[in-house]
Formats: sequence, C-alpha cells, structure tokens
Amino acid sequence: MSKETFSQISPSEFFYRNRDLAGFSNPTRSLYTSVREFVENALDACDQKKILPDIHLSIKAVDPEQPDPKHYVLTVKDNGPGIDPKHVPHAFGTVLYGSKFGLKQARGMFGLGATMAILYGQITTNKPVTVKSCSDGKTVDEFVMLLDIQKNKPVILKHNTKEATKTGLSVSIVLEGDYSKAGLKVRDYVSQTSLITPYASITFEDPSGEKSHYPRIVKEMPPPPTIIKPHPHGVDVETIRRMIVDTHYQIPVLDDNMIGKVKKELGLQKKNLGTKDMLERAQKRWSDLSRPVRIIVSVMSFLNVDFDGLQKIRIDDIDVANKKITYWDFGQSQSHAIDLDPESPYYKQLANTVQGDTLLTFLTKRFQRIGPTTAEKFCEFAKLKPERRIGSMTNEELVRLSDALQKFDDFLSPDPSCLAPLGEEPLSKGIMKFFNPEFASVMQRSASAYSGFPFVVEMGIAYGGDIPSSGLKVYRFANRIPLLYDEGSDVVLKIVNEMDWSRYKVKGDPPLVIVSHICSTRIPYKTVGKENVADRPELERELKNALQYLARKLAVHMSRQGAADMAKKRANLYAKYVPLIAQFAAELSGKKKEPNYKQLIKMGSEFEEQV
Amino acid sequence: MKNKSKHRTSEEKKEKLLSLLQKQGLNIYEDLDHGKFPQFVIPSRSVNNIVYDKKLRQYILGNASAIRSARNMSQLRSYTQLAWLAFFVNRLVKEGKSSTLRDIYYSSQAFSIDFEDQPESDNIIVDLEAVTSSPREEFHIFPEERSSVFGDLTIEYTVPGYEGKRMNLSDHPDGYLIGPSLSSAELVDTSAELVIAIEKGGLFTRFVEENVHKKFKSIIVDTAGQAPRSTRNLLRRLNQEMGLPVVILADGDVYGEHIAMVIKSGSANAAHLRELTVPDAKWLGVWATDIEKYKLPTIPMTESDIKRIYDLQKDPRYQEGNWKKQLEVFLKLKRKAELEAFSKYGLTNITDKYLPAKLEESKSF
Repeated sequence: MSKETFSQISPSEFFYRNRDLAGFSNPTRSLYTSVREFVENALDACDQKKILPDIHLSIKAVDPEQPDPKHYVLTVKDNGPGIDPKHVPHAFGTVLYGSKFGLKQARGMFGLGATMAILYGQITTNKPVTVKSCSDGKTVDEFVMLLDIQKNKPVILKHNTKEATKTGLSVSIVLEGDYSKAGLKVRDYVSQTSLITPYASITFEDPSGEKSHYPRIVKEMPPPPTIIKPHPHGVDVETIRRMIVDTHYQIPVLDDNMIGKVKKELGLQKKNLGTKDMLERAQKRWSDLSRPVRIIVSVMSFLNVDFDGLQKIRIDDIDVANKKITYWDFGQSQSHAIDLDPESPYYKQLANTVQGDTLLTFLTKRFQRIGPTTAEKFCEFAKLKPERRIGSMTNEELVRLSDALQKFDDFLSPDPSCLAPLGEEPLSKGIMKFFNPEFASVMQRSASAYSGFPFVVEMGIAYGGDIPSSGLKVYRFANRIPLLYDEGSDVVLKIVNEMDWSRYKVKGDPPLVIVSHICSTRIPYKTVGKENVADRPELERELKNALQYLARKLAVHMSRQGAADMAKKRANLYAKYVPLIAQFAAELSGKKKEPNYKQLIKMGSEFEEQV
Repeated sequence: MKNKSKHRTSEEKKEKLLSLLQKQGLNIYEDLDHGKFPQFVIPSRSVNNIVYDKKLRQYILGNASAIRSARNMSQLRSYTQLAWLAFFVNRLVKEGKSSTLRDIYYSSQAFSIDFEDQPESDNIIVDLEAVTSSPREEFHIFPEERSSVFGDLTIEYTVPGYEGKRMNLSDHPDGYLIGPSLSSAELVDTSAELVIAIEKGGLFTRFVEENVHKKFKSIIVDTAGQAPRSTRNLLRRLNQEMGLPVVILADGDVYGEHIAMVIKSGSANAAHLRELTVPDAKWLGVWATDIEKYKLPTIPMTESDIKRIYDLQKDPRYQEGNWKKQLEVFLKLKRKAELEAFSKYGLTNITDKYLPAKLEESKSF
C-alpha cells in the first residue's frame, strides 16, 4: 500500500481566500458585517448567561482627514460573561474555534464571523486585534494579537492583567471601511436591533462623535433556548458522519492538558520515556486508564511517536471500517494517513471504543423524539439491523441511513424548546416604543417545522401615530437579527405583497409597519449573505396566518377609527355649511335677520348616515 | 312693421325669476328656523326621464324628480352650492350684472363655496335651471361662445347704464354679438319679413356683402356651428314676438341637419328648459338630395359621421318625412358637401341661385 500525502490549507487560509463568502467583499460591506458579527456575539453571550445586555459600539476613523475608504477602529464592548483568559487566544486567534456547534437558536452560527472580521482587519491594515476580557469579575486580561493565517494560530504580541469590577468583553479591531457608504446601514442595523432586542441597552458612537442611545425597554429576558439533539429529518450524511465520530469517541484534543492527563495516569509526571517503554507501562496499568487515555496510547503505538512527537500533530480521523488513521503534521504542514494493523492488540482496543453504539442506541440517544419502538420500526424501514455498530458502517450504509432518516414519516415533529422567540409582550413594548403608533398588535404562532428544523414566527403590526404615511414598510428579523439587504426576494415581502390590503380597510400609502421575526435553528436563507429568507411552504403558511390575524385586528381598529372619523367629519361639515345656507337664505328671502340654525347643526352632527 | 315695444317681455321674465328665487329662499329660511333640513326638488335629467313631447315638438323632462337634502351628508355640499348659486343669481339679476360660466366657478370662492372644477359648477347651474325652469341666460350667466346677428331690427337695452337706449342692428356690417345686453334687450321694431340662420361666419359675411338682408328683407343670424342657447332664444323671440319665419342654412351633412333640428325642437341636454325652440323653423339645406341636384363637390364621410347618422335614426324626430329621407340619402351617398361648395360655381352662386330656389321650394314644405 502506497502512502499518500495531501497538501492542505488551514481554515484561516481558506477564509482568507474566500472572504467574499462571509460578507467581506468590499470596505462598505465589510464594515457593516464586522459591526454585525461583534454586536451579535455580544448579545448571544449575554443571552446565554441571562445577563441583560449593555452594548457599546463605537466606530472611529484613525485619520478623519482621509477620504473613504480609510482605516477605522471598531470597538464593541459588552457586559456579558467574558471569556476565560485561557481560551481568549484561541477564540479570537483561530478560525473555526467556537462554542456554538450545539443545536439551538443563536444569532450567529459557529462563531466564524468575529474571527473573519479580525482576519479582514488584519489583512487590510496589518494591525492587531485587542481583546479585553473579564470572566471572574476580579481581573481583566488584555490581549493584543495577530492571526497566523497559514498555521491558523494566534500570535500574542502583548498580554497584561489588571483589576476589574465587572465581567464583560471588549473587542477592538482596526479595519479598512467606508463609513460614508455603510453609515446608513449601520445606523439602521443598530436601531432595528434595539427594536428586536428591547431588553438590551445599546449605545452607538459614530465617527463624527455623535452618540445614539437605545435604552432598555423591558427588564425581563425572554427564556433562553436549550441545546437539543437534532431531529432526524434535519440531518444529512455529513452531519450523521460527524455525529457518529462524535458518539463513538471524542477525538482527544492533543493539548497540554490532555498530554498532562495521559502522563498522570501513566505516572509519568516527572520523567519521560521512549515510545516502547511508555507502551509497556501502559499495558500494566491498562485497566485503570480512562478511555481517552487508552485511545491516545493506542494512537501513539500505531503512529510510533513519543510525547514530543504527539505535540506536533493533530488527529483528524480514526476510520476503523477502512483501517486508517489520518493526522495533520504541523511541522510538515501535511496530512498523513496510516494503515491500522488489525493484528495489533491496540487495534481491538480502538475498534471496541470506536465502533461505538448499536444503531438502536445511536438513534434513541442521539436524536430527539425517537424512542425504542420508533427506532425499531425505523430500522425495519431502512433495512438496517438494529444491533449493527454504527462505527463499522460502510459509506453505502450511511447514505442509506441518511436517506431513510429523511423519508421515514413516523418521527414526531421537532422539539421547539431550542427556539427563543422574543415573546408577545416584549415585542409589543418594543414596537410601541420604537414607532409610537396609534394602533399596534402582535402575535406569536405556535412552533412548526420545515425539513426537521423547528421554527416560530412572531409578527407585529403598527399603524398611524408617528409612522409616516409613506406606504407599507416591513421590518424583517431572523433569530433577532435585522435583515437589511436583498429585501425584494424575501419570503416575508412576498407574503405581505400578496395580501389584499383593501379587504382590511387599508388604502393608498398607509402609515403601516409590519415587524416579522422568524426564529429557527436553521433559517432557510436564500444566499450565503444571510439577508433574505427562502419561501418554504411551511414557513409561508405560518407567516400568512400571522399576517392575516394581525390584519383582521387592524381592520377592526380601522372600522372603529372610521366611524369616529366620520362623526367628526359630519360635525365639521354641518358646522361649516349650515351657517352659509342660513346666510344665503336670509338674503334670498329678503330677511334682515338670519334664521336660528344652531339646532340644525346639532342635529346634523348627531345624525346617523341615511340616504 | 311690427312693434312690440309695449310688451316688456324681459322685464316680466326677470320679475318671475326673482319671485321664484325668493320663494325658494323663504322655504329654506323657514326650514332652518324650525329645525328642519331644507331641500331642493330637482326634476331628474337622467336619460329615463327625457321624453319627446310631440305636442310641444321638443324634448321635455318627465315627472321624475330628485330631492337634494341637507339631511344627507353626502349631498350637503352640493345642496349648499345650489343655495349659493340661487343667492348669487339673485344678486346678479337684481344688480343687472352678467357673468360667465367660468366667472361663476371663481365667484364661488369668495363665499367659501369650493367647486372642485368648472364642470362641477356648470352642473350646479344646470340644476338651478331645472329647479326654476329657466335658462341660465336669464340668470345673467352666459357661455363664452358668441354668435352674431345683422339686419334691420331695433332693440332697446335694459342693462344698467343703457336703459332705454335704442339701437338698429344693421348699422355695423360685421354684425352684433348676441351677448348679455342683446339677449336682455327688448325687441322694438323691424322691417324684415324673414330670419335666415346660417351655420358659418364666412357665409354670414358674404350674405351681408351681397345684401341678402335687403334682397330678401331678412335678419341674418350666424349660429357659429351648433347655435348657443342665447341665439336659439333670440331666434325664438324673433319668431314669436316679431312673428318672423325662421329658415336655416347649414352644411350638407348629418351635423348640419341636426343644427337645424336643434333650432327647431331643442336638444336632449336642454330638455329641462322651454322657450328655446322655434317649432316652425324650416331647414332650407343643404339637403343630401341637393348634393346631387346642384352637382356640389363633395368629401367622403368619416366613420364618426356615419355613426352619427345611425344614432340620429333612433331619435323620434327623425322617424318621418324629409328629416328621415335626408338621413337615408346621406347614408347612401356616404359623402357630404359644405356650404362653401357652391363657390365652385362662383362666389355669389349661393345667394343668387341656391337661396332663392330653396326659399321658393320651402313654401311648399
């Protein structure tokens, strides 16, 4: 068997090369995207710990005299839980390092955006990122660092610690941006964010030094979402593969902690042994070793490396079915694959650990809403044996499993507890404060699902008051994020435009606002830009029902308003015309005195319409 | 010689109108004083209510009428507009001032009566015509279009500043505008024995030049196309008060025939009015049969000409006699001839040959 090597680029490099995808195509868009990423991360962090968010955003030109595009300092500060100083370099200095891989509703996904913004700042200005984090409420750690793009590793330039009194995180980057063009969107973004996050206090200081403050309107946080297992309809082959890898073992992270743990269990804290001696010692203590340590020892035997060697690699895959271990060598920047010898005693150890659960256990343990009965029915449907070990399934079997998961109809609908809608009361208060309308109504639909992803639609309608009579305006939100671009092709716009508003007594260019909020573990965005939502039939139905309910409420209000307006109009008309008629009649009839018409004005004003 | 100077027709009409307006005013006044919503009864001018009266030989309104009440909010505005117009006409007539349709539209604004546009105010004027059964000329409201008259006719003005002043209408060869002062003048005296109404200003001038007024002892009236109401009213007065027969010369097409018909028996638009018709007027020409008889140069009819023929064939007045026959011939020829067509045979051919021939022929109608 020949050994193959592949050259691999690091995730940082990949994103560097494909930054357009993540919304960093030009200075205008990049500035806006960076603001979004940092603000959303800050809000997410506060949500998770049930802290009422207090966000400060500032954008300052490095040299205000220069024309746009120019360098800006973007700083976002929050009062969230902060990040453990140990994790700060990785969290902000590597791409794809994140805590958001669980399945629940969050604003951002995977936490890629913030690092992308840092990366973008670095490649356009060559300036480091400054992160100040306080997670214990006592000390704040300040890091100044750069990203090593090729190695996907942080390079810490400065680190110091000071006393602090509150937890929180502050991130500051220097980036090339165009505020003259992005300003409008940034301001819209901030103000609309305050509408959909009425429990947050947001302050924005723009490059001219002008401060906009959006105070907290409600003091209660909406209930936070819980992390849940995926629904079978919502997974694809790749997700299943990851889940399987995840189930049968955690690829141990070969960091100093882990190596320390191995050494400790082997009693090697003080001295170092060669590979062979180390393996012998491990054999003797095998029954006392924990599972991750057993795996690492097995891996070390196959790769024939000692602890020093172990620190230079990262294990990417242990493929028992194909008898291969794949790992990444930092020294050579190359990926290697090693064949596993089935005769080795360590193979059995790896295989036992790695082949993992039976299909039946995998289904019931790893998915939501599958009990043993459903799982057995499913296995029959998929023509797979329930006792089959998932770690040993072939590619074809995995594809069959994945297909069957999609097609099997007897699964219960997805669990919406992972969703965090804002709630009717906070939404209503937000709308009242934001628009100061004459009439407003909100509605939250009960949870529904498309392709295994649960979602909830919340909608609000506001009419009159301070809203200008410039026609219907739609404010779109998804997972508490304002959607500002690509309005035309959005499903919400489609539903709103399909409405026959005249049936609801709305005419002309009404002072009318619709606020639409879609919450889902996965919003079906049409494009990677994540600005417009696709028209899934299930989603359309929920949006339509919500909108019709609200429109009916508006119609009732309009009728009441119409009757009141009519009475007022009547009174005005009679007050205007009756004295005129009296004047004309007096002269026509040749009388000197005008008739007594007061009674008639009163009668006219009180009269119900009759023809 | 006819002399009607003792018969003050204009004055009578004026008094009649003023008392009618005062009566309306009193009604409104009483209603207001008693806490009742005042209302106008307006004869309905809808198509269903326009009928042809064979005895009167004109279109008249039937018995249907609409009530415009101040009780109805959607009518309050137009009710007030109508009350204002009655009030304003009262002033106009009392003060002997005249006004135009356009003037009315603007005058309203001085009294916070807002008309949206002139058609709205024109409509209210027609409403008042219907309520009082009087043409707007009696309200001293005149349209912009004017036609002219020439011939030996003495009139006496009644307009302020000219009261009692007399004038003979043969003193100015371009003719006299049939305007407010002429319309309200008393007809005193004439030596003429005939009135010739002619459709076109150019021919009117030719007739004056060729001394038609002397040769045929006639008063010549230029109707300038479809005769305005003041002109039709003058023709009627010449016929009724001075006892003069009226003959009409118009283009040899369907519109010309209808110009003659409207002078004779009115239009559906003015069905709410009387005293605008000359039932004994005679249509001299140009007939469809004249086109062939006099070998006149012709031009082809347009589609709208032909459509108009079909429309008129449904009109009860075109159901018999020469009126019916000429329409049929026009439809057969599908060609028409203007009055000027006679110029092919010399400029005076129409006055020297055609007119005498037709007048002779008309004695037998």
